[in-house]
Amino acid sequence: MKHFIFVFIAFISLNNFAQNKTIAAGEKLVYTASYNMSGLLTDIAQVKMETSKIKTSKSTLLRLKCTAVTYKKWDNFFKIRDLYESYVNPKTLTPYLYKRDISEGGYYKFMQYKYNHKSKLVKSLKRKKNKEGKTWDENKNIKIGASTKDLVSTLYSIRNMDIHKASPGDQQNFTVLFDNKEIIITVKYLKKETISTKLGSKECYKLALSIKGSDILKGNNNNLLWLTADDNKIPVYAKFKIPVGNGELKIVSATGLKN
Amino acid sequence: MSKKLFIILGFIAAILAVIIAVTPLSNLAVAPIIVAFLSGLIVLFLSKKHKTKTKSIQYIFLLVIISLILTIYKGVFSTTKVGDTEQLEQRDEENLEDSKEILEDIEIDEDF
Repeated sequence: MKHFIFVFIAFISLNNFAQNKTIAAGEKLVYTASYNMSGLLTDIAQVKMETSKIKTSKSTLLRLKCTAVTYKKWDNFFKIRDLYESYVNPKTLTPYLYKRDISEGGYYKFMQYKYNHKSKLVKSLKRKKNKEGKTWDENKNIKIGASTKDLVSTLYSIRNMDIHKASPGDQQNFTVLFDNKEIIITVKYLKKETISTKLGSKECYKLALSIKGSDILKGNNNNLLWLTADDNKIPVYAKFKIPVGNGELKIVSATGLKN
Repeated sequence: MSKKLFIILGFIAAILAVIIAVTPLSNLAVAPIIVAFLSGLIVLFLSKKHKTKTKSIQYIFLLVIISLILTIYKGVFSTTKVGDTEQLEQRDEENLEDSKEILEDIEIDEDF
């Protein structure tokens, strides 16, 4: 028990004071998302993850941007144009502003979180379109924990973990604010594995992700993420289980890396 | 009796294959194509054994051929190109401008 508490505290402190050694401005990762049913692959969308520097009059921030665009053949059936962005402190990856602007097959939703880390409050804005095409807003103040982040900055924070110090079986929790609710994502380090990717054969850290108390991403190591076992920790491959078959995310290209 | 069963199975699988072959998920049509083809063969074998003629075999095979051609055609010619992103880029830029304004008011604390 003592040992556990120590590890837990060590992890939390690591999480809070983790310095960004992995993510640089100008990085661009491109992926293909596909659906896999018993070996038959169908490409669905292109996913991009980009970073850039944003200067305000007082400071410099890092903009983390993720977009998802369906391939042309899908557009008539189910058109997805999603934009997720997070503006973070370039040194610690702490988010200050998060935006989610999604358009999926006629459904539109906009979410914005403004963080105030001192008072541990998030000002949330939800904007939706009704049937006539008019938008309506919903404002809320949400109390958050000390290390709560949004989806995008969590993704990048996972990359910034000191996995080389971890041993197989270690795990870390991330608190993520999603749809105005705090959810806990558990990341478990499984082992090192060499897989072949578009970038060549890479030695990777194999991680398992799961959401506490949710059916979307179930436990049992069904949702896996492979990060290259170097200083860049590029996510090269991801696999997630859905009721029929499974989804895959494969890297196509990676440019502007830090190391 | 078993012939009827395979005719029904063959038809369902063949129609399913055509439907899937038309959608962008055409790759997945392979499974029902195989099922329909096998049922068609079994029906053919059974009707030869009983020396009866069955028209439904032709229909099953016709549907199988249609979906097979569609699947192969799509597999060979469809390119994985992304759709139009103009609207997304516009939203991206609008959001960026808006974010810059919001961020001007936010104090960045180096400790966090």
